[in-house]
Amino acid sequence: MIELIELTKSYGRVRAVNEVTFSAVPGRVTGFLGLNGSGKTTTLRMLLGLTRPTAGAALINKVRFQELSHPARQVGAVLEQGISHPGQSGRAHLTTQALLTGADRARVDLLLEQVGLGDAAEQRCGDYSLGMRQRLAVATALLGDPSVLILDEPANGLDPEGMAWLRELLREHARNGGTVLISSHLLAELAQLIDDVVIISEGTVRYAAPLAELYGSTAARLRIRGRDPQRLWQAFEEAGATVEGDGYALEVFGLTPEDAGDIAFAAGVAIYELATDAPNLEQIFLDLVSAG
Amino acid sequence: MIAVVRSELYRLSTTRSNALSLAIFSGLGVALGTIGADFWALLAGVGAFGFGVTGISQHYQHRTAVLLYLARPRRILVLLAQLVTAVIVSVGFTAVSGAVVLIQGDRDRYLITLVVAPIMAVLGAAAAAIARSATFLFVGFAAWILFVEAMYGKLQQPLPFSAYLDAASGDIHKLVILLGWTLATVVGAIVAIRRDLNGD
Repeated sequence: MIELIELTKSYGRVRAVNEVTFSAVPGRVTGFLGLNGSGKTTTLRMLLGLTRPTAGAALINKVRFQELSHPARQVGAVLEQGISHPGQSGRAHLTTQALLTGADRARVDLLLEQVGLGDAAEQRCGDYSLGMRQRLAVATALLGDPSVLILDEPANGLDPEGMAWLRELLREHARNGGTVLISSHLLAELAQLIDDVVIISEGTVRYAAPLAELYGSTAARLRIRGRDPQRLWQAFEEAGATVEGDGYALEVFGLTPEDAGDIAFAAGVAIYELATDAPNLEQIFLDLVSAG
Repeated sequence: MIAVVRSELYRLSTTRSNALSLAIFSGLGVALGTIGADFWALLAGVGAFGFGVTGISQHYQHRTAVLLYLARPRRILVLLAQLVTAVIVSVGFTAVSGAVVLIQGDRDRYLITLVVAPIMAVLGAAAAAIARSATFLFVGFAAWILFVEAMYGKLQQPLPFSAYLDAASGDIHKLVILLGWTLATVVGAIVAIRRDLNGD
């Protein structure tokens, strides 16, 4: 369980993070969305005890990070594009971390296999690609088998296969009762992963709620193409819908697909295409940010 | 604290550049020992200082300080463990590199340097915790020795490196001065270690 309560960080007169309040709960993946420079990383650094807050509190399992008895066994974190000493091999890096955290050294090889670095275990980290470094960072975070995972832009450098792997790994972690907080500006990627969403802009939280609620707050749009667009347009408007057109297909707001099909049938117009456009997280995000 | 020391020693032993520089400096120490104990003692002090600096500054250079503080958030304990690691490494380095001095029969010089050189390692490590940059420290250290201690102080003033040179010759008064400088730097490091660890 992660709780941020009016967390604030000021640099001189500039408020990088302004009274940020939200929670990330077990069993769910919480997405922390914001443009570059919006305060995501500073917030996560305060949560992890790397940066001191000016005001407010950041709690993990009800205590500040510095007060956790065995932090690595409770919290795993991925920060800064995969941190490791370039002169160490992947295996030596993880062994160093195991010694540091008190984790079982037997997990080192298991994790290297799990993140797909088994064949590169003896390779120097300096020779790893960005994607490999990110995988090693995930392995480092998982070393203590923590219940809470905090990831700052973990998809950077990952190829599509790597992103799918990471998505499944985080979903599995949440299914097993773990808490996942993931920050990203790759909104389309996050939309496939998260349960809850927190949107931050200019250091201030603009929205914090389940993703489904965010989608529900925006009008669903139907894309409809039929034999007689004029007649369809009129029939939909008479049913109370808002209709727009691009000359080829109609964009209809305020109707379910079932209603639209019934209306077209009653109007005697053949339908060639009827599709529901999924809410676009990116558009919703940009609308929220610009509204702020 | 033991976990941090073990982890640090493992990291140093499995990082090629660290192991290589330790081997090269040890070999150089052996070679200088054949020329004279003073040369070896000088190298032991400079080497110990350097290993103390790099042991900590590498964590900032490669950002692994983040991992360190995520695993062990009590930073003062981490710092103390790193200082202990610096002492262990410098004792090993001084002991091995001074083998020729010991064999040649200069037992007292060997033992005094074995005690005093690790203090330089602690000084270097504590300074690195404050500066967080090996380049800045090495350049600053060289300039300090050249302009302040050598040209201005003629290596006779109660300053750290001048004190080390005399302490390594058995001067107890200068040893106390060196310990004073080291303690002051450690106190500075304890204060500085609390600073934010910012991103790239």
